[in-house]
Amino acid sequence: MIVAGIDAGSRTIKIVLWDGFRGAMVGAGIADQGVEQDALAGALLDRLLGETGRARSDLGRVVATGYGRNIMSMADSTVTEITCHAVGVGHVLPGARTVIDIGGQDSKLIRLDGDGGVRDFAMNDRCAAGSGRFLEVIAARLGVELSALGALARRSERPAAISSMCVVFAETEIIGLLASRTPPADLAAGVQASMANRVVAMAGRHLDPPIVFTGGVALVPGMSDALATALGHPLQVAPDPRMTGALGAALIAAGHRDPVPARVAPASPW
Amino acid sequence: MNGLASITLEQWDRRYEELRAAGLREPEYGGPLRRHVEDGDRRLLRLRFDPSPAALRLWNFLLTEEDRLRKARRDGKKLVGVMKDLGTTALMTHCVPELVAFYPDGAWWIPCVMEMRAGLFSIADSLGINDSFCPVRAMLGAFVTGAHFPIPDMLVCSAGATCDDFSAIAQRLEGLGHAILWWEIPHRRKPESGEGRVELPGGFVAPAEQVAVVRAELDRVREGLQSLAGSRLDDARLAAGIRKANQARGLLADLRRQAFTAARCPMPALEMLVAEMLAIHFCSDFDESLRVLSDLHEEVSARVLSGKGTLPADAVRVYWVNPVADLQVMNLLESCGGRVCGTEYLFSHALDPIPEDLGPMEALARMALADPMVGPASDRAERICRDAVGFGAEAVLVSRIPGASHCALEGEAIAEGVRRLGLPVAEIEVPSLSDACRPRLVTRLGGLIETALRRRGS
Repeated sequence: MIVAGIDAGSRTIKIVLWDGFRGAMVGAGIADQGVEQDALAGALLDRLLGETGRARSDLGRVVATGYGRNIMSMADSTVTEITCHAVGVGHVLPGARTVIDIGGQDSKLIRLDGDGGVRDFAMNDRCAAGSGRFLEVIAARLGVELSALGALARRSERPAAISSMCVVFAETEIIGLLASRTPPADLAAGVQASMANRVVAMAGRHLDPPIVFTGGVALVPGMSDALATALGHPLQVAPDPRMTGALGAALIAAGHRDPVPARVAPASPW
Repeated sequence: MNGLASITLEQWDRRYEELRAAGLREPEYGGPLRRHVEDGDRRLLRLRFDPSPAALRLWNFLLTEEDRLRKARRDGKKLVGVMKDLGTTALMTHCVPELVAFYPDGAWWIPCVMEMRAGLFSIADSLGINDSFCPVRAMLGAFVTGAHFPIPDMLVCSAGATCDDFSAIAQRLEGLGHAILWWEIPHRRKPESGEGRVELPGGFVAPAEQVAVVRAELDRVREGLQSLAGSRLDDARLAAGIRKANQARGLLADLRRQAFTAARCPMPALEMLVAEMLAIHFCSDFDESLRVLSDLHEEVSARVLSGKGTLPADAVRVYWVNPVADLQVMNLLESCGGRVCGTEYLFSHALDPIPEDLGPMEALARMALADPMVGPASDRAERICRDAVGFGAEAVLVSRIPGASHCALEGEAIAEGVRRLGLPVAEIEVPSLSDACRPRLVTRLGGLIETALRRRGS
């Protein structure tokens, strides 16, 4: 039986198709998020099913996660991305004790117990300065693509000190630094370090290794190095880190890991 | 069938008609909840309520306080706005028959209940009290419009080791021409060696000297009240008031015990929050608040006895810290699979019995000094941890109040204490209208519930 995990995030929708009998992923894809989230997810799901020669009628349980999870009409149940990232990481990197997930809209720090279950978590979802959006804004201000920000940062000889904890004020600060001829490379490196420090500050205390980095920001070159520096500890980027939440949702759908009864996290809390 | 579902306002319309047809008897402030929406309390349209007549009475009592205050004034009584102090000066005021106390601070819920339509925050903004302050700044707007409560004949406000935001807001209010009788409360500390020590309600201790300071300050408040009323507030009146307050606290303590420890949650978190608030302000009618609490207590006792509840029996037991600016979030926890099994809404001292074996002013001074906000955050965290264990909590939720200066310091201290207990803890921040941030609130609440459920299963 094929099951699906849908991660309806703020910037993209990710779907993983999982073959419960074979215990293997049979499809995965990403689509940009938009206004019609449910329709976009449905189209992506149909495309992935089509690519594997299947239709909706072949699909078993569907679990949705992410900020848009409660509007996914095809979902049988919903689970928070906190649990899904823990389950996803537990599958791809068993033994991990900490997950740092940085997505487009928020960042999360998830502490795991010895069995890979969530022991505790902290989130920054009130300020863009700890999210992928921060990097997007700054990359645009520096006139480079987000994907090129890491390469630019690597050329830095003296990372700039970005003191603002707010993306709006940080952008203003960068305008001032550019005006004072601070090299863009130093700004890029300074921004990555600033963001990493913000995420690490969320932990508030020691983090247990192994530490795994998930979420779209993990793909931004230089971010894992910046985080490792801020942590004072190496960390590992999860394989295909954007898909970790969707993978966790698919595994829960398949019953591989069922950390919560299905009645929890209703399709709509209202 | 052991289920009793909470209902929407629309369902309450029908339920009210059924109850009326079945002979429902109501106090003079009774009536359908719908009329409050017509008066502007639009948030009620989005809440879920307990379906009992006792809950109806509770809501009607809460939402008709302004009518009671205006009637009291017409009847020749003097109105006293007791600000920031939670539970002490309100009690003192109610002991004087010529006076009625109320909490202007309660205006902090007006932006929520009226869904911002009263414009109180805009008025506060224009007076320089912007959103870097706690939502209690709405009170400033309410004083300016005079539309939500009559302007009191006297204002009393505590200062010192209380909320910085409130002090600033009250100072601004005084600057607008509203005279305030300030009384100071010192930061509670542990006695040093050689200092006289006094046991306070709630298990705290303080230097005898601090208790004496608070007592002297409350004596000044007593004089002010006597002067306003033109009658004496003697110890006999105070002692009678303390006995009555203890009656309310006793009822509430048993209500909490039953509601928080029953196998099935017998009363939704929202109604329990409103009931707990009665312990500090009595909703401007001391005697009626006792009757309202008695009704609710009777309802809860009957439900516990028959095993009836408003939530699934396996709802996750969550201990809740701090009141929420948006009442709807109490519903939200329950829709995410949780139930409230203990609370600390910043006035745990007002739920403890006031000592009756002491002189009344001494007893009140000790109670005031036991306020969780006037001591170190570690004291508060300690009490929260003790209560969370006592009530069998599976998780703790710390609800931050936007702009509130104390929240920034307390949250982590409380969370650290809870983690040492091995319980999962999450922090949320709840603005007056949480609609726009509901997804993130649901994620945090859901994450907490899922974590607690997994722990239960492992």
